[in-house]
Amino acid sequence: MTDKVLHAPRELDSFAGDLPRLENALSRRIGADPENVQRGLAQLVLTVVELLRQLMERQALRRVDSGTLSEEQVERLGRTFMELDKRMEELREEFGLDEEDLNLNLGPLGNLL
Amino acid sequence: MIELYAITDHPGPPLPDVGPLNAVATEDLAAVCAPTSDGEVSPDALWRHEDVVEALMEDRDLLPVRYGTRLEDESAAVRAVAERYDELAVALDRVRGAVELSLRVLVADEPTQATRQEPASGAEYLRAKTRRGVERETAVRILHEPLSILARASLQASPRSPSELLRAAYLVDRPTVESFVGLVARLQSVHPGLRLLCTGPWPPYSFAER
Repeated sequence: MTDKVLHAPRELDSFAGDLPRLENALSRRIGADPENVQRGLAQLVLTVVELLRQLMERQALRRVDSGTLSEEQVERLGRTFMELDKRMEELREEFGLDEEDLNLNLGPLGNLL
Repeated sequence: MIELYAITDHPGPPLPDVGPLNAVATEDLAAVCAPTSDGEVSPDALWRHEDVVEALMEDRDLLPVRYGTRLEDESAAVRAVAERYDELAVALDRVRGAVELSLRVLVADEPTQATRQEPASGAEYLRAKTRRGVERETAVRILHEPLSILARASLQASPRSPSELLRAAYLVDRPTVESFVGLVARLQSVHPGLRLLCTGPWPPYSFAER
């Protein structure tokens, strides 16, 4: 693999986070045992939830940028999204899903997120 | 069962000696395939597939076929290529003489997940999000755009982790690879706050279909 590295920073470890993904992605394709089916369903549902969360978050960031919100409103909004973010992370962990798993390849339309 | 590896020109140079490969021709295209015993799906098998495609790539243009593409027999391969002949011929022309290079960019001084502190307030959480959004736009402007000029085509994928600023693929003419990598190195030295990882040359997986 290392012969494929054309340019790398001195500290390469930070890129290593993707390595376990390959094993997971492959093992999940094999067999349709109940656990896999449940996980597949969770993945689909969480993908939709994540899409909505990101859309709402972007909308919120735009409103904050426009400067029409009071400090208290900004704080409340931020707290809400922070909690949502944390909750999503917990759910992902529970079903053994990565951030990347909550995305759909829509073919010619590209990725959902 | 046979496993497909790549679509190439027919006739092409002799097939590399990396297994029982066979080129099944349909007009001036060929599907490179090999008999496979059904079953095993593993990272090792995936890397073996990749090795074959890369060995083929050394002396010919090709459309890589995704790992795990299996057909009944060689006549099924002929039918599959014939059905999509026009599309495949155009796609092969599109990648002719080029390889794929990949670039990933991370923020250099990002705390790891274990040491990352939760934002002190909701407002701080939103500010951090806004900052990251701006950093990503900047990375596109200062890295992706100049590199795209050297490439025949380029694609961006969405970042996979909070510390990732850019994830992109470039279709680069074989003779241009060296200057592309040189530009990556120069951009890295100008931007010490970022970590640039450039890999390749890969078969043009990202540009095989459109």
